Order: sequence, then structure tokens, then C-alpha cells
Amino acid sequence: MKLHGNGLAVRRGERELLLGVDLRLHAGELVLLVGRNGSGKSTLLRLLLGVEPCDRGSVELDGRPIGAWPARERAQRLAFVPQDPDCPFEFTGRELVAMGRHPLRGSRTLTDEDRAAVDQALTAVDAGEFADRAVTTLSGGERRRIALARALATGAPLQLLDEPTANLDLEHALALAQLLQARSRAGLGVLIATHELNLLAPFADRVVALHAGQVLADGPPETVLSATNVATLFGVDAVTPQGYFPRAFVPRRG
Amino acid sequence: MNGPRARHLLRFAGFAIAAALLHLVVVREEPGLVRSWLAAWRWLSGTEVDADVAIDAYVVGQIRLPRLVVAWFGGAALGVAGAVMQAVFRNPLASPDIIGTSAGAAFGGAIALSLDWVALSLLVAPAASLGGALLVTWLVFVLARAGTRFSATGLLLAGVALNTLVGALTSFVVTFTFDNYTSSSRVLFWLMGGLDLRTWTHAAITVTGFVLFAALLAGRARQLDLLTLRDDSAHSLGIDPQRARRWLLWVACGLTATTVANTGGIVFVALVVPHLARLCVGPAHHLLLPASALLGAGLLVFSDWLCRITPADMNLRLGVVTAVLGAPYFLFLLRRHRRGEELT
Repeated sequence: MKLHGNGLAVRRGERELLLGVDLRLHAGELVLLVGRNGSGKSTLLRLLLGVEPCDRGSVELDGRPIGAWPARERAQRLAFVPQDPDCPFEFTGRELVAMGRHPLRGSRTLTDEDRAAVDQALTAVDAGEFADRAVTTLSGGERRRIALARALATGAPLQLLDEPTANLDLEHALALAQLLQARSRAGLGVLIATHELNLLAPFADRVVALHAGQVLADGPPETVLSATNVATLFGVDAVTPQGYFPRAFVPRRG
Repeated sequence: MNGPRARHLLRFAGFAIAAALLHLVVVREEPGLVRSWLAAWRWLSGTEVDADVAIDAYVVGQIRLPRLVVAWFGGAALGVAGAVMQAVFRNPLASPDIIGTSAGAAFGGAIALSLDWVALSLLVAPAASLGGALLVTWLVFVLARAGTRFSATGLLLAGVALNTLVGALTSFVVTFTFDNYTSSSRVLFWLMGGLDLRTWTHAAITVTGFVLFAALLAGRARQLDLLTLRDDSAHSLGIDPQRARRWLLWVACGLTATTVANTGGIVFVALVVPHLARLCVGPAHHLLLPASALLGAGLLVFSDWLCRITPADMNLRLGVVTAVLGAPYFLFLLRRHRRGEELT
């Protein structure tokens, strides 16, 4: 199972946000997508998901254009967690996670297999304790864990996660990183848009750095997050040796 | 269907039936309780009756029953339309009253009444209302569209703007007809909502509208659940949120238009009923849709019953009663919201 974005370009108003980005995600790898605020990470995920059209370029899921997949079949292969997983109504966490089974069950009622998948997903992100509370009463981190559980419950082999560790406390953020690494070793393909370089880079197989609408670098974390690239990407200096995490960053001298 | 949430459906059904029985036999005019029952039984069974009972049977069968049927199915349609719109817009304050569908129907009806087109046929006012509702809903889509796409927020903003504009145009129609007392009072009374002089023709339109459009919602409860998520989340779970929102909004428009066309302006029912139902059965639409239908039916019938037991010279209008019943509920929601903020 693989997802390829080829020459993706998109404009937002007068601004060229992406200028021809190539990005690939294969099953069994954990990839980080990094870049400044507004560099187009979330937009790129939405293009790869096929929810937003690109001005130029194409997205292929397993060699077939993303738009040519029947919606439910695509959803069985590609899951997504948005940056802001909100729901204005008082669904319980468990009900929201059960929505992750929609691509597999259609209009059928939940089967024992569906319930087991929901329970497993809730347990995986340590959300069982608050799963039966209304999501409107949960904290931001708890809601994010519910959204992650929903993506896991789909059983999709490729997952696009937009800042999945935002709002998570350190314990759950680390647990999530370990979980995603273990799942990727077992065959899951995970693409994570993130600013948490120190937290997630040690778990990643590859990092894709977006800068000025293009891919600045694509490769192992130690290479991509070099002092030079970090300075270009974020305008900060890395003061610890390359290849060592966590790294310390300081504002640029001069 | 089991569970405490599902049991609320039985309670709502009981309320809708009790309200219907009250509406049919406990009113200020004769025939009263016993004679109404007798007449209803004779009317339904087709038994030959003497002259007095025949008059009672006529009152029950040709005046009260069609009015009850319009109220029952109209309330059910508004309840369902509100629940659908709140999911489509991902906003618990969305309703046909807010996004212009009801205003469009009211405008169409007001035009037909003010120009006295209603003299041509009993069906003209409902047809004009339907046309007004469809036109405004279509304009909402046109205004909200950005390229080939639209957002729930865009639809809501376009709807609120058109609601205000069409409301102003309706006021203009009323003031324009002020020199004709009969015409302007007829328009005003219609805008305030009411079920006087409803016939089996009106009842047939309301029932057909409800059955037709509610049938189009069959099997779509889970789709409505998914639409309460963001578009990208809903898309990732295997639906086309743009197409689903467009389709469901037309269905809600149809439910609203075929009701308002026969009832005039009824406010708050489509807004309040899904809220109340959600408190009891939760937000999942496989329960919320039937709960909203039953509660909407019961509430509109009960409201109309209140109109019918108050003295005739008060001229209490149905739209006034639903507004008076609906407003305190929102004050209750406000209190609940404040408590929530304090807890956070």
C-alpha cells in the first residue's frame, strides 16, 4: 500500500502555497512532515487525502488517482486525524470512535468485531476511562486521543495525522510516539505533520521538510534536521551535535 | 430497540398521542368530550347517524381532524427538518427559521395572499410558499458557493443574510397592503402562523410532504452523524460531505416548505425540538430523527390546542404560542451553558 503526491501545487488567494511538492508514503514507515507555521503542511495532508483539489499535480493511492477510488474503499485504506478534531454535539467518545468503523460496515449495526476494534483503539490511546463521556466535556488532549482512536479503529494501513501530539501531556505524547512506531514496524504507514521535532524525530524513519512551497529535504531525521536545514526552516540554531535528540535550539545569533 | 435513550421514544410517542387526543376532543366549542368521541367513532366507522350526531361528526371529521393532521405531521416535519439542518450546518442553532427557508415560504405565501391569488384556488398559497422556500434555498447555495465547493459556515452566513433580506421584503408586502384592511390582516395573521380552516387538501399536502421527504432520509442516519464532524474527517470516513450536505439541505427545505405552506409562520419548533430530543436520546441520528418527529408532532399539536382552549376573542396565534414556549427553553440553555463555562 502506498500513497504518492506528484508535483502538488496549490494557490491560496494571491499566495502560491505549494509549488510542486513530491511526497511518498509507504506502508511500514513513519514519516514526519515539518515546516514553519503556514508552510502548507495541513494543506498538503488534505491534498493527499483527496478532500481538497490541487491546482497542479496528482495524488495516487496504490497507483490509482485518489479521486477515482470509491469513497468507502478509499477510507478503508487511508485514515486521517485533523488538526482541530471538533464536534459540536454531545457524542460520547465511544460513539465517535465507532464512526471510524463506517467505511467497513456501511449501514449495518455494529458487530462484535466492530466493538472489539473500537475497544482496542480506545485502549491503545489510553482513552477507555473517558470513552463514555460526552466529548464536549473532555479536555483538548482527551478529544485528540479520541480522534486518534477513531483513525486507528478504521484499520486503514495508511494514516495521515495532523499534529497528533498537540495538547497531549508528555506521558501520552511519548506513548503515542511509541505506539505509532510499533504499528509502523507492523506494517502501518504513518505521515505526521508536526512541530514536535525533539519528541517525534527519534521514532521516525524519514523526515520531509517543507520550505517556501517546496520540499527542502527528504531523508533520515539525522540528515534532514541538520543545523543548516534547521536554520533555513525555522530561523534557529541547533546547539547540540547533529544526530543527537533531544536537541537544543536557540534564536539565531546576530 | 433497547436502552434508556430509546425508551424516550416511547415517551415522546405517548406525548404526541395524548396531545392529539386533547386536540380532538377538549376544546372550547361543542361538541365536547363524550359527543366528540361518539362522533369520531361514527365518522371513522361510517355508521349511519341521526342529524345531531351527523353535525358533530362533520365538525370532528371535516374541521378538527384535518387541523389535527396538519399540526401533527407539520410538527413532525419541522422537528426532523431542524435536526437535519443542525447536522448539515454542524451548528445546534441552525434551523429553517435561521437560514431563510421559512422566511422564503412566508414571503411566497404573503405575496399570494396580498395579491388575492388565493381566490383562484386553495392550492395557490401552499404552492407560492413552496416556490418561495425553494427559491431562497437555491439562492443560499448560489451565494455560498466558492468555485465548485461550499462550506457549512458559508451556507449559514448566506442563509442568515437572505433570511434578513426576505424578512424585510415580507414586511414591505405587509405595509404595501395596509390600505386594504382585509388583505393586510389576512397576510399578518398568516405570517403569525395558524391552522384555522385547514381542510383535507391541506392535510394531504402536509402528510405527502412529510412521508415523501422523510422517506428520503431513510438509511441516512449514519451519514448525518458523520456530517457533524469536519468535512475532512467526514471525507476520510467514506462519504462525500459536499454532496451529502447539498442533498440533505434540499430534503430539509422540502419538509419545511410543505409544512409552512399549510401553517404559515411557525417559529422555534424546528430549532427547539431537536435540542430537547438530543437531551433525551443523545445526538445519534438513528434515534434523534424519530424522536424529533414525535416531539415536534406533540409540541405543535399541544401549541395549537392551547390556541383552541383560550377565549376566541384573544385571537391567539399558533406562531405566538410556539415562540412563547420556545424562548424560555433557550434561557434554560443559556443557564446550562454558563454552568458549563464555570466548570471548565
